Amino acid sequence: MQRIILLLVQLLFFVLILTLNAQDQEIVLKGKQLFGSMEARHIGPALMSGRISDLEVHPTNPRIIYAGTAGGGVWKSSNGGTTFTPIFDDYVQSIGVVTLDPNKPDNVIWVGTGETWTRNSTSVGDGLFKSVDGGKNWDKIGFENSDRIAGIEINPNNSNEIYVGVLGALWGDSDERGVYKTIDGGKTWDKILFIDNKTGCSELIMDPNNPNTLYAAFWEFRRTAWSFNSGGYQSALYKTTDAGKTWNKIHNGFPSGKLGRFAFAVAPSNSNRLYAVLETENDKDNGLWRSNDAGANWEHLNNDFGLVVRPFYFSRIVVDPNNQDIVIKGGLNGSISRDGGKTFKSLGNMHSDIHDIAFAINNSDVIYAGTDGGVYSSRDGGGTMEIVENMPVSQFYHVSVDDAEPYNVYGGLQDNGSWYGPNSATGGVKAKHWNPVGYGDGFRVLKHYTKNIIYTEMQGAENVWRYDVDKKRIKTIQPLPEKGDPKLRFNWNAPMELSTHQPNRFYMGSQFLHKSEDMGDTWEKISPDLTTDDKSKQAQEESGGLSQDNSGAENHCTIFTIAESTLDEHVIWTGTDDGQVQVTKNGGKKWKNVTKNLNGLPKNTWCYHIEASVFDKATAYAVFDGHTSNDKNTYAYKTTDYGKTWQSIVTDDIHGFARSLQEDFVNPDLLFLGTEFGLYITVDGGKHWSKFENNMPATAVHYITMQKQTNDIVMGTHGRGVIIIDDVSPLREINQEVLNKNIHFFKTKPTVMKEKGGFASFFGSETQFVGRNPSSAAKIIYYLKKRHTFGKMKMEVFNDKDEKVATLKAGKAKGINIVNWNYRTKRPKVAKGKTFSFGGFTMPRAIAGNYKVVMTKGKETYEVPLELRYEDNGISLADRKEQERITKKLFDMTEDLAYMVYQIDQEIDFSTNLLKKITVEKLKVQKTIDQLNTLKETLVVTTGDNYVGTAEKQLREKLSDLYSKIAGTYEKPSKAEMLNLKAIEYRFNNSKSNYKSIKENDFSKLIKLASKTEVKLIEYKSFEEFIEN
Amino acid sequence: MKNILLVLALAFFIGNYAQTSADDILDNYFENTGGKENWQKLEGIKMIGNVSGQGMEIPIEILQLKDGRQYVKISFQGKEMMQGVYNGKVLWNTNFMTQKAEEMTTEQTENFKMNQVKDFPSPFLNYKENGYQVELLGDETMEGAECYKIKLTQKPVLVDGKEEESVSFYYFDKENYIPIAVEMEIKSGQMKGQMMKSTMSDYDEVGGLYFPFSLTQMGGPLSIEKIELNPEVDAVMFEMPKEEETPPPVEEKK
Repeated sequence: MQRIILLLVQLLFFVLILTLNAQDQEIVLKGKQLFGSMEARHIGPALMSGRISDLEVHPTNPRIIYAGTAGGGVWKSSNGGTTFTPIFDDYVQSIGVVTLDPNKPDNVIWVGTGETWTRNSTSVGDGLFKSVDGGKNWDKIGFENSDRIAGIEINPNNSNEIYVGVLGALWGDSDERGVYKTIDGGKTWDKILFIDNKTGCSELIMDPNNPNTLYAAFWEFRRTAWSFNSGGYQSALYKTTDAGKTWNKIHNGFPSGKLGRFAFAVAPSNSNRLYAVLETENDKDNGLWRSNDAGANWEHLNNDFGLVVRPFYFSRIVVDPNNQDIVIKGGLNGSISRDGGKTFKSLGNMHSDIHDIAFAINNSDVIYAGTDGGVYSSRDGGGTMEIVENMPVSQFYHVSVDDAEPYNVYGGLQDNGSWYGPNSATGGVKAKHWNPVGYGDGFRVLKHYTKNIIYTEMQGAENVWRYDVDKKRIKTIQPLPEKGDPKLRFNWNAPMELSTHQPNRFYMGSQFLHKSEDMGDTWEKISPDLTTDDKSKQAQEESGGLSQDNSGAENHCTIFTIAESTLDEHVIWTGTDDGQVQVTKNGGKKWKNVTKNLNGLPKNTWCYHIEASVFDKATAYAVFDGHTSNDKNTYAYKTTDYGKTWQSIVTDDIHGFARSLQEDFVNPDLLFLGTEFGLYITVDGGKHWSKFENNMPATAVHYITMQKQTNDIVMGTHGRGVIIIDDVSPLREINQEVLNKNIHFFKTKPTVMKEKGGFASFFGSETQFVGRNPSSAAKIIYYLKKRHTFGKMKMEVFNDKDEKVATLKAGKAKGINIVNWNYRTKRPKVAKGKTFSFGGFTMPRAIAGNYKVVMTKGKETYEVPLELRYEDNGISLADRKEQERITKKLFDMTEDLAYMVYQIDQEIDFSTNLLKKITVEKLKVQKTIDQLNTLKETLVVTTGDNYVGTAEKQLREKLSDLYSKIAGTYEKPSKAEMLNLKAIEYRFNNSKSNYKSIKENDFSKLIKLASKTEVKLIEYKSFEEFIEN
Repeated sequence: MKNILLVLALAFFIGNYAQTSADDILDNYFENTGGKENWQKLEGIKMIGNVSGQGMEIPIEILQLKDGRQYVKISFQGKEMMQGVYNGKVLWNTNFMTQKAEEMTTEQTENFKMNQVKDFPSPFLNYKENGYQVELLGDETMEGAECYKIKLTQKPVLVDGKEEESVSFYYFDKENYIPIAVEMEIKSGQMKGQMMKSTMSDYDEVGGLYFPFSLTQMGGPLSIEKIELNPEVDAVMFEMPKEEETPPPVEEKK
């Protein structure tokens, strides 16, 4: 028996080894190991920036300011707010609060994630983070289920004593709410004030003059996909004076009944002066309250619009650190009082929706404001406001592209309208390159496939515009109710779609699918109500709680995504915000609800995106987002039978709920998934997913599209603008065979050498964001199984005559490496003068044709072909060849001159030496030296400097100027250029014969003279040796 | 059985990991690249190579001495220009426009004296004596390779009049304990606050010590062709050239 057991064990072991070996053969590379040097680039825009949630100033250094954003992470300014830099890219980008440790403000930063301005589109947090090195590295401290953190307060006498106010979940019940305290720097936490699982801490303030006194505002609130409630009997303002042991409500003077969200502040210059802004059951009680006795009593001061507007969105009040009577309340425009809160006026013009304000520490004229449109600063006490121009934290809901060259990117933004702009521009993509195409909140923007017409919309399809770009003519075209129609329900972010089959076709979704065949002039409903039509989710006028808030943001039971198959125009998919997936195979005559076939998907989970496959008309992908039901799981499914059956394509590799998916159009196994925390890519149809993190922040990817000509992935992120990964075609080739090779070169298309240029303007770029352009270089792309660290590795380019034309910098990372060649060849060797000949720095462009790239790695050599082509832009081949011929001629002349000057320099040195050594015939030697010097002075500049002290141009300068002029163009040299060449040739020839005469008649005599001395004869380098060195 | 194997493997891994400290990694690094003693003996290095930026190859010579003196010499069209020269007292550069020597700011020189002077041949070699701190922050993927991330804290420096920490992050390849990348904070100008990454590769042996022959910094690669140890130096090279007494005649500008 024992032997059998032993045998079994042995067998098991054998099987185990086998499986282990089998597993070994499969290479699964994740993230940076796979993507190597493939990098995302950001094109912003930053001109409208995006929502700022929290501002924090350094307590002692006025140059340093932090901005927490709604979806773009944490940004730091080290120059008093002129520019900001992102410092939190690897983590969740929705920020609640940023707090500096008052004892180590240069180093220790605490970030509570999860925005607390709880609009419908707000993202979610991922806990509490800490940096001990000024934001270079971060550790997660906990509070994983906190959803949103409103306050962090640190004892200025003890950095280990920290209080955290957790607002908690917006979309459901949660016990992780209230006030927490640590006395060991964050290792352990005690929940010291908790009300219930619906009420969270929305503001936590420590008395700046007494760390044992804290104030905590609690707010009862809840959002669903179709409604919002602010207020309840549990909302209250609490105070502790014993470091959190006991808490008491301080409501003496406040009305009874339900309360909503509080704004709260202590005047830093007087701990008895408190300000609170209340949301109550009665309008007359709303607004500003003040206490002059540290909360013992309250008096009501003001209920102006600026004080009471949308408390869930604006509940921040800030007191001037130097004057207890100057207070600013965030709001639609922001309101400032200089009389202790009795009267207010608006702050200077800036983007509306002010969420936070900060005063500079030692100059109250300097004020910073965080708005829905970025950070603003004032230098005149809030009178005028200036936007920070380098924060591309724009929040796109959607993105699309066209097929222009360069292609344009279209999309709409939270509170910032709709825009389109080029993905590249001379000198980079700047604010000025973006064109507005809509008002209000912007969402989907689509370019007509064949006409210069753009469709764009505002919230709830209140307006859908058809914009004729050439005629600059706008027409609104949203579907309108006809006789017998019920009220049309459009989502806040209403779906629109084009048809690849019929360019004038245009779809819109309310609860019905609307189709127009004439670009929106005539509409036809081609479906019944495709939603659940649940009446209990349609009472939006009751939304808001204590303050009604029916903006349209909660419209529900609506279609959210529409997909017409590119293979069959009769196959159309719709997905709704109440979780219904329906499909028609006959252009809308009959619809099938396939929702029940989605195994594992909770009922009514928002269908965010449906992607109709381009490979098979029965295949589609559906992405669901459950976060509005407090469900943050990832849901992405694939069907291959029109929705009869679905397979989940989600693995544990993915973090965060998903909103978007893009199928590659060449390799069906290559998919891109946008989640709330970034981009994931699979190369095997969803068996494994890798997070793409190369210059890609962990921002919410709301929409992904792919540009067909360039194979670019274009993402509309809700917090970091438009982010692009150029040419993802190498990913199509990734498979096990490739991953098992030591080196694999990916196929690349022939490179068309870019000739479009133009003038770049750099004005403003000192402080403005400039989007990075794609590289137009020829690319050599390869996979390395292992990072190259030891021994030589080089890469060289050879032409078809096997002449080396360029040396490139080989990429050495494990994974995918991209090496760029700007198709420039080596520059000429230029004659040595006193100053530089700038024209001589020009490198001739390579000639179109076939090249060979040779990579040497240790002892191994690899070769890969590369083809360059001319741009097809009307320049004839004969003209191009003439340009190349003349360039080559001038290149050779430049090097001939360099060699001639080299020889002359040698001869001058030699003669000067000789002069010192001889006693007879000195005059003869001196005369030769003078002759050589005189000649040299006509060949190269021998005086002056490189700026305005330049000397008169000599042959070298004239020659290299012409060389550079002709090498820098693509056309046949002009008549003027050829005449100039002739003149230079004439001068050069004269110089040559002059030189020959000096050499033969005068210098030769010196050689004879030298033979009688010890002066060494010149050992001239050959021309080739001279050029090489 | 499988579980036991896994537990054993895990225990081994954790045990191993727990023991790894920044000092272990640095010791391994010095051991694998020639030995601490030999590094200590090094008096100077001269590197000859090219900096290239898309086709443009600029010959470069870098010289660093144990006493802190250093220079970078680059050649353009046969003209030699000195950059980042330290003569033991001040830092200076050649101005590109006038080709004359200009002294760098007092702040730059003082910052240099604070740290870089002691960094030869590696800031890790005598880091404790120099008053630096090192810390192992954990694992990170860099250049696709699994690395240890080590934080090096040097003496604080002055930036535009304000004192700032001087911190850099080194990535040591786990396979061989060789640094393959370093990140440093950009301290001033428009990119202030952003991290500048350099990568190192093509390590090879010179006189028993291993040096990277290829370095990249913000896309501008430096390839080294030759490294000379303990080179002979002419002290004059480090001194700021005196201005010519009679300026060269300048022709009238047209």
